[in-house]
Amino acid sequence: MVGTGSSPQVRRPASSLIWLVPPVVLAVCTATAALLVPLSVRTPTAWCGTAATVAVALTSSEAARRGRVINSLRRRCAEQEATLRRQLAEQDAATKRLAEELLPRAMEMLQGGAFADEVVRAVAPPSSDSTPYAAEHRKIIRFVVETVQAEEGLRDSAHRAFVNIARRVQAIVHQQATDLREMEDRHGNTPEVFSDLLHLDHGTALIGRLADSIAVLGGSRPGRQWKNPIPLYNVLRGAMSRIMDYRRVDLHSVADVAITGPGVEPVIHAAAELLDNATRYSPPETRVHLTAVEIQSGVAIEIEDAGVGLTDEHRRRTDRVLAMADRGFDLDDLGETPRLGLAVVSRLAKSYGFRVSLRPSAYGGVRAVLIVPAELVTASATPGGEIARAATLPPPKVRKKPGRPLPDPPPAMETPAVGSHTANGLPQRRRRALGMAARAAAVAPAPAETAPRTEPESEPTQPGLWLAAFTSALKGDAPAGDRGQSSDDPSDEKE
Amino acid sequence: MSKPERAWDPGNPDRLYIVTKGCGESKQSSTGLDLVTLIVARTETDPGLQPEHETIVRMCDYPLSVAEISAYLTLPVSTVTVLLNDLLSRGHVEARPPVPVAALPDVGLLEAVMHGLQNL
Repeated sequence: MVGTGSSPQVRRPASSLIWLVPPVVLAVCTATAALLVPLSVRTPTAWCGTAATVAVALTSSEAARRGRVINSLRRRCAEQEATLRRQLAEQDAATKRLAEELLPRAMEMLQGGAFADEVVRAVAPPSSDSTPYAAEHRKIIRFVVETVQAEEGLRDSAHRAFVNIARRVQAIVHQQATDLREMEDRHGNTPEVFSDLLHLDHGTALIGRLADSIAVLGGSRPGRQWKNPIPLYNVLRGAMSRIMDYRRVDLHSVADVAITGPGVEPVIHAAAELLDNATRYSPPETRVHLTAVEIQSGVAIEIEDAGVGLTDEHRRRTDRVLAMADRGFDLDDLGETPRLGLAVVSRLAKSYGFRVSLRPSAYGGVRAVLIVPAELVTASATPGGEIARAATLPPPKVRKKPGRPLPDPPPAMETPAVGSHTANGLPQRRRRALGMAARAAAVAPAPAETAPRTEPESEPTQPGLWLAAFTSALKGDAPAGDRGQSSDDPSDEKE
Repeated sequence: MSKPERAWDPGNPDRLYIVTKGCGESKQSSTGLDLVTLIVARTETDPGLQPEHETIVRMCDYPLSVAEISAYLTLPVSTVTVLLNDLLSRGHVEARPPVPVAALPDVGLLEAVMHGLQNL
C-alpha cells in the first residue's frame, strides 16, 4: 500500500531481465544439445529441454516475483519502522511536555486557587487536539488535578477545623483574661487572692499563645487585633507576659517607637516565640536579654540567651524551618513533640515582612534578631512606654505654704518651690537633688544655700523659737540673750 | 464579647504580673504599707527605672497616699504595693504614717505649760 513509490518502477526492468537469464540460457543449451545429439534422440531432448526451460522460466519468474514482493515488504517495513520511530519520538516529547510543562502549570494554577475545570481548560484546551495524545493527556491532567484538589480540600478542611478550634479557644481565653483582670481589680486589696489570680492570669496567657500559634499555622492571623499604635516597650512586655519563664527575661533599653495597630499582635507573638525558645534552651539560672534598637529598615528586636547554642546541624534545621515558611501548615508540627515556635515565627515573618536570623551569641548561646519593617513602626505617642493602662497623672499641685502641718517637716518641707525668691523678688526654682544633698550632709549649709530658705521659714520658725525661749525660761535660764544666735540653732537642728 | 474588650485595656498588652515582675506576694505586713500610708519621692526620676516606678516617683513629688497612687495608675493596690516595696528598698521613695494624730503634745506637758503660765 505504501510501497507504491517511484523507486520500484525504476528497478523493475532490471529485475525482469534478471529472471529471463536462466530460461534463456537453458533454451540456448537445449537448442545446442538438440543440434549436437544424434537425430534419434533429438526430439525427446528437445522436448525435455523445452520442458526444463519452461520449468526454469516459471521458477525463475516466480523467484523474481517473490523477490519483488520481499523488496516491497522490506520497504514497507522500513517505512513503518520510521513511522513508529517518529511516533515514539512524538510520544516522548508529549510525555515530557506533560511532565515538565502541563502538570506543573496545572499545579501552579491549582495552588493559585483555580477550579479543576478551569485548570484543565487552560492547560490542555480542546483546540489543541491536533497534537498527538492531547485527549489522553487531558484525561490524565483532569484526573491528577481532581485528585490533588480533593486532597487539598481535605487539608483545607483540616486547617479550617484547627483554626476554628483555635479561634474558639482564643475567644474563651480572651474572655477569661478579661474576667481575671476584673477580678484582679476587685481583689487588689487581698494579697493572697491577688497573687493567685496573677498566677492564673499567666497560665491563661500561655494557653492563649498556644491557640494563637495554631491559628497562625493554620494560615490565620494571630489573636486579637489592636486599633491604636502601641509603644514598643509595652509590646515587648506583652511578649514577655506570654512565656513560661518571663522572670528570667531582662528588658533592657527599648527604642522609643510604637508599633502600628495591625502589627502589634504579630510582633508580640513572634517575639514571644523567640523568647520562649531562648528561655527553654538555656540553663534555668541564666538570664535572657531583650533589647530593641531602631535601625534603617525598621526596628531590630534582639533576644540573646546564654544557652547551649546552635550546633551546625541545628542551624541547618532552623534555617530550613525558617525558609520553608510557605510550605504551609504541616500536621506533623502538631505531632508528639510539638515544635511550633520557629514554624510560627517564619509564618509570621512571611506574612508581615519580618526578618529573622538566629546566630551564635557572644554569651555562647543564641542571638535571635527579629527585624520589624519600617511600615509597621510609627512614632510613639507616649515616650518611654505606656504606664499600666492609660495612666491619668495627678494634676500638678502648687506647693502650699511651708508652714502647712505635714507630719515630719524636714523631709517633706524641703525647699518649697514657690516660697523661695531671689533678691529681685522673682520666684526661684531650686534643684531638688541639691536640697537632698544638703539635707543628707546635714552639716552647716553654705550661706548661699540657706539664705533663700531661711527667709520664708522665718515665719514658721518663730513659734518654735518662742517655745524654745519659753522652755529655757521654764528651766530658769536667762531669756535668750542672743536672739540671732538662737534663731540659727533650731533651724540647724531641724536640718 | 466586644464590649468587655473595649472596657478592658483599650490599648495595652501588659499584664499585671509583668508589671510586678512576677511577685504577686506583696510583703504588705512587713513594710506596713496600707491604703492611707503617704508616699513621698526622695529622688529625681532615674532613666533606668521601669515606667511604673518612674511615674510613681514623679507623681509622689507631693505626698500621695497608696490609695491615690493606685487610683491614678488604675492598678490594683497589691500591684502598687509591690511597686512601692521595690522603690522603698531602693530608696527612691519614703513611706510615712498617715495623719499625725499623735502629734499633739500629751496632757502632762499641757498641764505643765498651764502651770508655768499661771506661775508667771
